[in-house]
Amino acid sequence: MQIIDLLTPARVLVDVRASSKKRLLEALAGLLDERGTPDSERAIFESLVRRERLGSTGLAHGIAIPHGRSADVTRAVGAFMRLAEPLEFDSLDRQRVDLVFGLVVPEHFTDQHLMFLADLAELFSDAAITARLRAAPDAATVYGILTGGRERNAA
Amino acid sequence: MIETYNGVLIVVALLAIVSIVSTLFSLRAGAPILLVFLVVGFMAGEDGLGNINFDNAEAAFVIGSIALALVLFDSGFGTPWRIFRLAAAPALTLATVGVILTAGLVATAAHVLFGLDWPQALLLGAIVGSTDAAAVFFLLRVGGIRVRERVRATLEVESGSNDPMAIFLVLGLVALLRSDADAIGLETLSLFATQMGLGLALGFAGGHAIVRIVNRLELEGALYPLLVAALALAVFSATNLAGGSGFLAVYVAGLVAGNRRIRRGNELKRFQQGLTWLAQIAMFVTLGLLATPSEFPAVLVPGIVLGLVLAFVARPLATVACLLPFGFSRAEHAFVGWVGLRGAVSILLAILPVAYGIDGGQMLLNLTFLIVLVSLVVQGWSIAPLARALKLVIPERAGAIERIQLDLPSEAAHELVAYRLHDDSPILGRSALPRWVKPALIVRDGQSIRSMRLDRLRAGDVIYVFVRPHRIPLLDRLIASPRPPEPGDREFFGEFEIAPETPIDELADFYGAIVNQDKRGQTVRRFLEREFGDAVEVGDRIGLGPIELVVRRLDEERRIAEVGLSITRRP
Repeated sequence: MQIIDLLTPARVLVDVRASSKKRLLEALAGLLDERGTPDSERAIFESLVRRERLGSTGLAHGIAIPHGRSADVTRAVGAFMRLAEPLEFDSLDRQRVDLVFGLVVPEHFTDQHLMFLADLAELFSDAAITARLRAAPDAATVYGILTGGRERNAA
Repeated sequence: MIETYNGVLIVVALLAIVSIVSTLFSLRAGAPILLVFLVVGFMAGEDGLGNINFDNAEAAFVIGSIALALVLFDSGFGTPWRIFRLAAAPALTLATVGVILTAGLVATAAHVLFGLDWPQALLLGAIVGSTDAAAVFFLLRVGGIRVRERVRATLEVESGSNDPMAIFLVLGLVALLRSDADAIGLETLSLFATQMGLGLALGFAGGHAIVRIVNRLELEGALYPLLVAALALAVFSATNLAGGSGFLAVYVAGLVAGNRRIRRGNELKRFQQGLTWLAQIAMFVTLGLLATPSEFPAVLVPGIVLGLVLAFVARPLATVACLLPFGFSRAEHAFVGWVGLRGAVSILLAILPVAYGIDGGQMLLNLTFLIVLVSLVVQGWSIAPLARALKLVIPERAGAIERIQLDLPSEAAHELVAYRLHDDSPILGRSALPRWVKPALIVRDGQSIRSMRLDRLRAGDVIYVFVRPHRIPLLDRLIASPRPPEPGDREFFGEFEIAPETPIDELADFYGAIVNQDKRGQTVRRFLEREFGDAVEVGDRIGLGPIELVVRRLDEERRIAEVGLSITRRP
């Protein structure tokens, strides 16, 4: 499994506007929900919020990787948003966040899923990649950047 | 024979001594070491000081092949699966398609620029088509270049696995030229399939067999490395006899054997490193002896031009074409393209046309020598500055001065690592070490000192530490790096942040970990403080199912202020 397996072009958005962390997580839950029922979307949102209560998923340098578990999903699903305006996310470095990768995994959270998190953290720690993500003109380009380096995520 | 053997022996021994001592020069001057070995061979040879007249092409080929087989086995043995998987797709594309493209481009240049007829031009292209594992490994591992893992893995796996392709191309072309067949037909394709298929199959089988044999037999300890070397050569030659690619087989066997639990694995690695050095020296010096440098001027211009074409045009184009689907950055393309060192394998392959009496064989051999020289000089010397210019060098991380890998009989799986403390060692500012570090011995001015108290440590002391192997990079940060680990250091402090007030069971539930009933309801801070007591230190870590909690920062009262969550990568 690689990051490319998590994403579809439809789950990559740019210039998203969100007025608060909560609104952002709601929008993210909507994107991540493949089933499309209000219940499943709600469950994903609540899991994301539950995780944020343990500590912000904001990394340094404007990146956040909110993640959660849900009984409604059968496989790991990812979604990416680039925000039009950086948003306060309680990150440790106090920097506002503009690149957000959401991940939701089935209830039985296995090591495999944790590896996704490690891979994502590694991917977004690459300043060259984040610069390209910020400079990309449209969602298709962003999708290409995120999925292009596929061998990076193989391990 | 009996009268002359001392004479022969002293020559061989002197050559080995000169080669080994010259590595000192090479490391200081930054000259590619293999170039130095080759030059030692030149100097000893018929046109040099030694005036040794050695022109037995077949003997050189045999010596070189055996040496290469050992080098390939070792390079497979030392490649962890993790690295292999990380780079398999791009590296194997380079090792197959890349070799063909490079060979084709060089052949075209030789044909168009210097009027070589096509069969000869193609043969030359194939001969210089593969990147040399020895040269790449040496430059990347020993040469002090720390490029990003993904780039390094790609280059190492490529260079370790591309020789069979080049060997196959050369053997195929030589066979075609000898039989005067005029087209590459079905027969050639089936030959290719047989070579690769048998090479892979027998390599896998051989690797597993080696592990089984070594783990089954109860031998005198020192015999295992010899046994493994002999088994590797047996896999190599048996595959060749069966019609497969012995070079591919021996590489695959090394990869398989090196990644399974094998008795005395560390000792095997050490022995093979020595053996690889010996093989390199034997191979390069022999090839240097075989050369007739006085013949080089005749092909000087084409040799140098083709060497430059290879370095600046053929290899970079082939690299870009092969790596395009894999999302490498532009700088990484440039670097992988530039680290296309040619080496012993090319020269070895160039012997074949001579040995088989192909027209122009000697000229091809001389051309190959020049191309390899150009590659070693131009690329070998410029790799380190280029890596820095392309900003591909990851920050210098001074490591342990000595790693003593102990084959402990139990499951302890600890290694003994030694560090010499420098003035800025972060450890000098600390009062204690994280618990996963077990100091064993402190040596000052040649004497071991009894106190294990860190506040007594001074720059210049050597500290020996027991640590689990996968934690060594963390230990490097703590002891050898010029400054303490920075807050953004994910490996050291964990990927995510955890609020210290979080109840431990909520955290555990979220990540599917289990905590004891009596710990439920505790906060993360309390959990860590109970675990570590008053002596809690920045960098202390504790496992919690699939995750680890790391103490990131203490406040003035030495209470835990920040906690990191690290996702454990299984060693």
